Amino acid sequence: MMAQRRGWQSSATTAALYAFATSLSILFLYPYWWMCLGMFRNARQVTGDPLRLWPEQFDFSIFAEIQRIGGVSFWQYVANSFAITGASTVLGVVVTAAGAYALTRKPELPGFRWLRYGFLVTIMYPYMLLVIPVYIVVFKLGLLGSYAGIVLFLALGPIQFFLFDQFFRTLPREVIEAGICDGANEAQILFKIILPMAKPILATVALITFLINWSQWFPILVISRSPDTFTLPVALLAMNGELGSNFRGIMALAFVTTLPVAVLFVLAQRRVMEGMAAGAVKG
Amino acid sequence: MPAIPVPTRLQSAVEALDLAWRNRVFYLFVAPFAALTIVFGLWPIALSIQVSLTASASALSPNPTYVGLANYATVLADPIFITSLWRTLWYAALAVAANLAFALGVAILIDSPRLRAGSMFFRLAIFLPVVTPDVAGYVVWRWLYDRSFGAINAAAEQLGLPAFGGLSSVDTVTIAVLIAELWHHAGFYMTIFLANLAMRDRALEEAAAIDGATVWQKWRFIILPQLRPAIIINLVYATVQFLKTFTVVVVMTKGGPAERTNFVSYYAYQLFDQGRYGEATAMASLLFAIVIALSLGAFKLSEGRGPK
Repeated sequence: MMAQRRGWQSSATTAALYAFATSLSILFLYPYWWMCLGMFRNARQVTGDPLRLWPEQFDFSIFAEIQRIGGVSFWQYVANSFAITGASTVLGVVVTAAGAYALTRKPELPGFRWLRYGFLVTIMYPYMLLVIPVYIVVFKLGLLGSYAGIVLFLALGPIQFFLFDQFFRTLPREVIEAGICDGANEAQILFKIILPMAKPILATVALITFLINWSQWFPILVISRSPDTFTLPVALLAMNGELGSNFRGIMALAFVTTLPVAVLFVLAQRRVMEGMAAGAVKG
Repeated sequence: MPAIPVPTRLQSAVEALDLAWRNRVFYLFVAPFAALTIVFGLWPIALSIQVSLTASASALSPNPTYVGLANYATVLADPIFITSLWRTLWYAALAVAANLAFALGVAILIDSPRLRAGSMFFRLAIFLPVVTPDVAGYVVWRWLYDRSFGAINAAAEQLGLPAFGGLSSVDTVTIAVLIAELWHHAGFYMTIFLANLAMRDRALEEAAAIDGATVWQKWRFIILPQLRPAIIINLVYATVQFLKTFTVVVVMTKGGPAERTNFVSYYAYQLFDQGRYGEATAMASLLFAIVIALSLGAFKLSEGRGPK
């Protein structure tokens, strides 16, 4: 009797916990659903019943209306987003991997400790405020309004560095020493021995860098001279700032801005969450 | 090495050069990373400090006029900045406490063995906003708070609650911004707590259970002390994060209403936009000093206690 009752109580607790966790998850996901509904519903329908859970109609006409935003084609923003995010991710992964490898492999070399400290200072500086002097630097380099200026600035990031740093630190020394004994030169050690072992971490860092850089907007806005180099988040911000806001257009653009990273995250959820936690813990 | 005696200083310099030359391939590996760190990190910071010492009008010219600490004096005498600074500190403290408490609570809930089957879905739902572009997330929140379009006031009305002022009322704007930021950031802190919870020593809990510890005692004396590393990491990250709150202000409030959300990052940016470079960079330096001091303080807290 007693055991039975306790079992009933226990499953009631489990059910309550499930109910609570599920409602919390639904609250967190609701803004996405509301955003999707907002693409299909016109202003009168939304103000009449903001809580409706299913659209009156599946009306995709808004995508035809936002074919041009701020004088630039919608597809240009999409292309910019993929090009800028992709290029800065590839550049960032290669540069950070090589740099972190050298810094952890030979920390005693002259200047290496200073470089590490210098990098740490850089990431402590409030990012939003770093962008202001970066504008001056990019101006002096003559890269204002160029893709190169944006991509170069976005390439480095703290989580990326800490993930590689942590990986190279835990790499067994014997692996490298065996290579040296076999007469391999440093380039061979890097490309033939380290790189194959580093594939999983390269994939994790690439994934996380892509997600982070896709979301960037402020450096892109500051370095750009015109909307021609805007990415989707910057275009969305510009649209959000216009007078007489176009609610449906904003929701549709927010949807397009969110979709690629949401899909990527759902496909690689474990790698993303574990990678971000690991990168933060070492930092 | 030459046999002739050389002063020790010079000798060590020669040795260093020799060491560097023998390892030149590593300098080759590190060169691009060093170049980017210097050009897009150290140089702008140095430039920012330099500009903060010059008159705004001449800041970008080849021969700027140096004015010493005048910009700092102007900034510190600016009542808008002082109010902005206090609001930033107050908001950061509030946001750090709310985010960490929420993230810890959710992590404990999701970590419960009773919820094992749904655990991955719950994690996914809470973490998705972290990877959602912040502009997109805050744009949606801005409209959710809208009086006529928004779902939040409609829901409050249905539940018979008083209307929520959202972003347009001075009484509610701070909490409204805080909720939107919590939605965006808390999943990250939760993940760090979950990683720490997964690494804890479960044998201690079994021993405590045998000794007849209550659930509260188990959490308070066995589990919470083991979460110290995650608490400190999250404390540092969240403090740095919320001291520089910016995007949410740009998207949702533009500093208003009545300057209520005119936090330091946003105010500095506004001055920069008006060409008041000297004052803007002076504010940046001050905020940088505060961030460094608070982070060092948090690290001091963690020093020598427990494994990192």
